[in-house]
Amino acid sequence: MKENFIYVPDLGGHDFRCKVPLKNTRQQFIVNGRVQGGESPFTLSLKENEVMDQMLQIIGVRNEEHKGPLSFSERFHFGANSKGTIIECSHTFSLDEFKTEETMDIVLEAGASAEFFIMQNEHNKAEHYLNCNVEMAEGASLRMVFISLHGGVIDNKLNVNLNGRHAECDLSGLYLTDSKQLMSNSIVLKHLVPDCHSTQLFKGILDDEGVTKFYGGIVVAQDAQHTEAFQANHNLLISDSAKAFSQPQLEIYADDVKCSHGATVGRLNEDELFYMRTRGIPVEEAKLLQQMAFAYEVLSHITNEELRERMQSLVEKRLRGEFAHCKNCSKNCC
Amino acid sequence: MLTIKDLHASVGEKEILKGINLEIKPGEVHAIMGPNGSGKSTLSAVLAGRETFNVTSGEIIFKGRSIVDLTPEERSWAGIFLGFQYPIEIPGVTNVNFIKAAVNEHRKQKGLPALSAAEFLKLMREKMAYVEMDSSFSSRGVNVGFSGGEKKRNEIFQMAMLEPDLAILDETDSGLDVDALRIVATGVNKMRRPDNATIVITHYQRLLDYIVPDYIHVLYKGRIIKTAGKELALEIEKKGYDWIINE
Repeated sequence: MKENFIYVPDLGGHDFRCKVPLKNTRQQFIVNGRVQGGESPFTLSLKENEVMDQMLQIIGVRNEEHKGPLSFSERFHFGANSKGTIIECSHTFSLDEFKTEETMDIVLEAGASAEFFIMQNEHNKAEHYLNCNVEMAEGASLRMVFISLHGGVIDNKLNVNLNGRHAECDLSGLYLTDSKQLMSNSIVLKHLVPDCHSTQLFKGILDDEGVTKFYGGIVVAQDAQHTEAFQANHNLLISDSAKAFSQPQLEIYADDVKCSHGATVGRLNEDELFYMRTRGIPVEEAKLLQQMAFAYEVLSHITNEELRERMQSLVEKRLRGEFAHCKNCSKNCC
Repeated sequence: MLTIKDLHASVGEKEILKGINLEIKPGEVHAIMGPNGSGKSTLSAVLAGRETFNVTSGEIIFKGRSIVDLTPEERSWAGIFLGFQYPIEIPGVTNVNFIKAAVNEHRKQKGLPALSAAEFLKLMREKMAYVEMDSSFSSRGVNVGFSGGEKKRNEIFQMAMLEPDLAILDETDSGLDVDALRIVATGVNKMRRPDNATIVITHYQRLLDYIVPDYIHVLYKGRIIKTAGKELALEIEKKGYDWIINE
């Protein structure tokens, strides 16, 4: 296990370093869509019963060397009963008007178990479109957490097919907007066979003129009996001019299922604020604590404690209006 | 310590407090009783600075200065504490982080440095013992999943941490069984000093068996209609409020 080693990727002489802050993690850089030290597109393939002994952190970087639109993809194949955790971070390292289209194809064979923690932290002029396609076989389990910290446009599209019985899929996301940022999460989750379980929890905190969209599609096929599918989307408006659109879309063709959905758009709770203020916590700090509490429900889905704490501190910095960059990064541009 | 002069307060167009007069000296315990809807909780919220209520006239003088224009946090720093009838649950904020933020903000206002982790832990252990609170509470979300008794103990624990000059306890006895009531009351009594004061708002005489008041005030339709010694509570327990209202 390597701790705190300094990884200097080949970025054409640019001084970019990332100390590995997370224990037991291997890093892979994808710079302007090109896999550093490997073949593109990026491919991860786990054999049957293979268990990843390290987490894999994919760091997607865009910089001034490629200013035009870019699309690239990544492929993940989890063999039967294999297991692994992927962290993916997207960053922009110059203030160009980047447009990035990223496709992630994820296949989980029977009994495979995967976790994906995705952190998106780009600048206000960057647009990032992520298409994520997931196929899950019998007994496979997937956990995906999207932390959309910052970006001009972040548009996540997720298509998940539950193709084998007893597959379990847990999707969650936290999106934070301010200025005129636009963040969108569109999900189409298909229960195609009986006995599968899915949850979706997406929460947003919107400031200034931020706009967010949530489209939560759940399709339960006619013979997908005993499906359990739960969905929630909650939005917290900090300003008067932020806009949250929420659209749950359930299509249920089976008759023996448990499904629920809930969507809310609200403001900070006045009772909580007053309670904290009577304890001497200043109003601005109290509002921050409330927002952190709101965000925590999503952050708690990050199973790795070290990563969770780091994300928590990034979210806090972001909500305080500070630069939300990791202290481990030598660049302060995202 | 606290002087309230002809205090009127309203929500929107509706006047709820219609001329309250009250004088509280250091070392005293005052109980405020009264039927439902008489304005007891409004009075406590107004004293703590809740902005939903408008003070339309009158004065609140605390330790020699008017506090009507102070925010809730400024009143807290000045030494006022409100124990809630229904303590608020704040999922995601742990008890320990919540009280640490509060204590350190109080210290900052006094020009003191923040407590070190070890000092804070020591202080917290000591004060948790006041209300027989288990240390496992500290890592849980503020009041989340707490029973009624645990929530009230947490209020008294917070009070012990902040050491207010004036504590206002709004229906601290509601939802408590006898054991929890005893623990909560013992905690309050341990904090009594000649230089601090307590206002206890309650429906029932039984809390006043444990926290013995110097004065009992009966609030009715936004006014204090009777003030007497602790024996009044027993009379109210037996005869209700009607005889006072009709007096």
